[in-house]
Amino acid sequence: MSQYKFSERSEAFCQDMFQQMLDTSDAIYGILISTVDGHDVSKHFLKEMPASKLSAMMSSILALGETIAVEAQQQRCRYVIVENSDGYILTLKIKDKLILSVIATTNANLGMLHSVSRNAAEKLAAHLR
Amino acid sequence: MPEIKLIITGPPGAGKTTAIEAISETPPVRTDTRTTDDLSSVKDETTVAMDFGEITLESGEKVFLYGTPGQRRFEFMWKILVEGGLGLIILVDCSRPDPIDDLKMYLENFSDFIERTGVVVGITRTSEPDAPELTEFYECLESNDRVFPILDVDIREREDVALLINALVSTLEFSR
Ligand SMILES: Nc1nc2c(ncn2[C@@H]2O[C@H](COP(=O)(O)OP(=O)(O)O)[C@@H](O)[C@H]2O)c(=O)[nH]1
Ligand SMILES: [Mg+2]
Repeated sequence: MSQYKFSERSEAFCQDMFQQMLDTSDAIYGILISTVDGHDVSKHFLKEMPASKLSAMMSSILALGETIAVEAQQQRCRYVIVENSDGYILTLKIKDKLILSVIATTNANLGMLHSVSRNAAEKLAAHLR
Repeated sequence: MPEIKLIITGPPGAGKTTAIEAISETPPVRTDTRTTDDLSSVKDETTVAMDFGEITLESGEKVFLYGTPGQRRFEFMWKILVEGGLGLIILVDCSRPDPIDDLKMYLENFSDFIERTGVVVGITRTSEPDAPELTEFYECLESNDRVFPILDVDIREREDVALLINALVSTLEFSR
């Protein structure tokens, strides 16, 4: 099966970037890059989580977020955020084919997670260009 | 009359999204995204969450149509979408390598839902050179102890989608 795959160089770039994100906020314990159609591409998890299943789910929820925005006559969906009693899951698009998801405890504030995720997505988009 | 929720499923590319687009009275809700895997040789986009459309039957009843993603990795969406559903349309695409096997697979995938609902099977692209005969699809159902209507349809045609929905709704009324 042919699947979206990073080059070795891009994978190293990602792992570097993941480490920087973890260094910036110790609330983050999972970072996942997946395709918009739900395949996992790269990840850094400090805890065991099902990357394939999460990738499919992230693509669904982001697509729903974008669709809901349109139905509610709002512009461009920036993030989909799932806020739970003990954590946050934040998902956003990187360019047109990829999705970045960040999983964190409530020790981080949401604004912080926004900026860390946005910066990472922009860096990655620039790298992949 | 209560609203009727129907589900359309089947393999990627069978025409679930196309069917809902063809028949919905309201602009359909779509969640198609770029394909990045093997499917991209067949299709540029694939459904990753759901399709949604609405139609009104001659009786005045409202039908809500939900299309599923086709790929197994979206199995969790199948479970979410069948909740409260009254009937299932399975589309089978004769341009795929093994349409009979596809039918078997979706009968299996949705077996719990099928136990409590009506089903119709829509066979698409039957003019494909290697398309099985309709009798082979009936035999497949029979060997799985199922008796469902099977219709040869062009899913791009509104009337053909209406045929599937009417067949399904009448089996539901019959069993109610
Ligand atoms: N040529 C031809 N194309 C068809 C026929 N039935 C469906 N299609 C096309 O097959 C594609 C089905 O894609 P889509 O609806 O996204 O499939 P889904 O994955 O089941 O949602 C569309 O481009 C349809 O126009 C047919 O009988 N003949
Ligand atoms: Mg579709």
